[in-house]
Amino acid sequence: MPDDHTLEEAAEAILFAADEPVSASHIARIMADVTGHSEPSEDDIDAAIDRLNAAYEEHGRTFVVEAWAGGYRMVTRASFSSFAKAFYVEEQETNLSRSLMETLAVIAYRQPATRPEVDFVRGVNSDYAIRKLLKMDLASVEGRADSVGRPLLYGTTDRFLEQFGLDALDDLPTLREVEDLLDDPAFDDERAKLLQLDREEGISVDMIDAEGIDASDDEDSSG
Amino acid sequence: MYRVELEQFEGPMDLLLFFIKRDEIDIYDIPIARIADEYLTYVRVMEEIDLDGVGDFIYMAALLINIKARMLLPSQDADEEGEAVDPRRELVERLLEYVRFKEAADQLSTRRERRREHFVRGDASADRERVEESHEVEVDASVFELVEALGRVLEADEDDDESEPIHEVAPLEHTVEEQQRYVVERLRRDSQVSFRTLIRGESRGFVIATFLALLELTRQQHLRLRVAERASDFSVEARDDAALQSDRPLQQVPPGLQGDGAVGPPSGRSGEE
Repeated sequence: MPDDHTLEEAAEAILFAADEPVSASHIARIMADVTGHSEPSEDDIDAAIDRLNAAYEEHGRTFVVEAWAGGYRMVTRASFSSFAKAFYVEEQETNLSRSLMETLAVIAYRQPATRPEVDFVRGVNSDYAIRKLLKMDLASVEGRADSVGRPLLYGTTDRFLEQFGLDALDDLPTLREVEDLLDDPAFDDERAKLLQLDREEGISVDMIDAEGIDASDDEDSSG
Repeated sequence: MYRVELEQFEGPMDLLLFFIKRDEIDIYDIPIARIADEYLTYVRVMEEIDLDGVGDFIYMAALLINIKARMLLPSQDADEEGEAVDPRRELVERLLEYVRFKEAADQLSTRRERRREHFVRGDASADRERVEESHEVEVDASVFELVEALGRVLEADEDDDESEPIHEVAPLEHTVEEQQRYVVERLRRDSQVSFRTLIRGESRGFVIATFLALLELTRQQHLRLRVAERASDFSVEARDDAALQSDRPLQQVPPGLQGDGAVGPPSGRSGEE
């Protein structure tokens, strides 16, 4: 008898079988279809998911239900990732390159954004990066701008939200204030790579102090 | 290998930020004249390392020089309140904006890493499909296989040669033109012949010159190359008998090919005795 089952049980069964995030409203609709009763509210579903998660926690299960891309997904806990990783050893996706990440960040925060807008922020041509993101289904074409030439408008996809563990665009981390960033010592790390490069290549550039960025530039300190 | 690092990790804005951080410059008061000069010096070094990626840097260098020039001239621009506009203002705003997005990119990367600690149902199949797809798109299978076939032939050749590598540049034994004639001669007898047969028992220089000759003849549409499934060999067949039989001289090898085309043993590899 379907009506004997609780909302938690129904939601758990659906999420276990699903291979994409399932929204609360979708779960509610299925529940109404199966039981013939009126649809539970989304709040009811959310509460049922909370109870499920509490039960998993209590019984030390290795999975948890996360809210991603506007839906719920049953996922393994981070502390068990080494097992799952070992299982998928061949299929590990590589990290996204920095140029892809930058391009994606501009599109995510500025969407809908045109390619010239992205190029302008990054100071480089982003054509390749955008095409790559489209192919990876992290970005998509959202239409055309009204400006001259009617350039394409790009935005992020649900897949982007899911891949980055975000429920909605509102969950994007807030952009940090500039002053805050400039004072951050971590900001220097990448620059050091450039210095390293000069040293290894054996190219002498007078203005670069090969000892590192911490050494002060005594002959010419302005600003 | 350093080229990759330049392209992937550093753009023209990063270089500017690098100078600003290094000299502890107040980003709102950049000594443009000096920075523009330094930037140019750096771009020149970069041209030595990586010509491809340097275009965007040259654009930024030009922008800096433009600002430097405007700083030297009496100001003509004024904002709504009639105050003189600092020619650097737009650049600074751009830099600051870029810094914020760089940081956002880092934060997103962190999020993605954290997210990737979680595994969901369906991961395996979805990822496998994607991996296969991306391979298909990025590799031109036919050319790749052709080169692979050449690699195997050369490898097999190398196995026979157990002597220590000798580092010397031997005189050129075979030119691409010679080998073109050789292949054409050969194809007049048999309409189809395998690459292995063509080069059986011959030296590396011969193999490579023959390979280039085949590519050139194929480009001129005299031949067709067929790569076997396992790509350890390929066959050559005449495409247009008339062209081969006629007395019409073979087309000149384009200058690019001619230079590299005269093949001796690759330097630093085993020398031909």
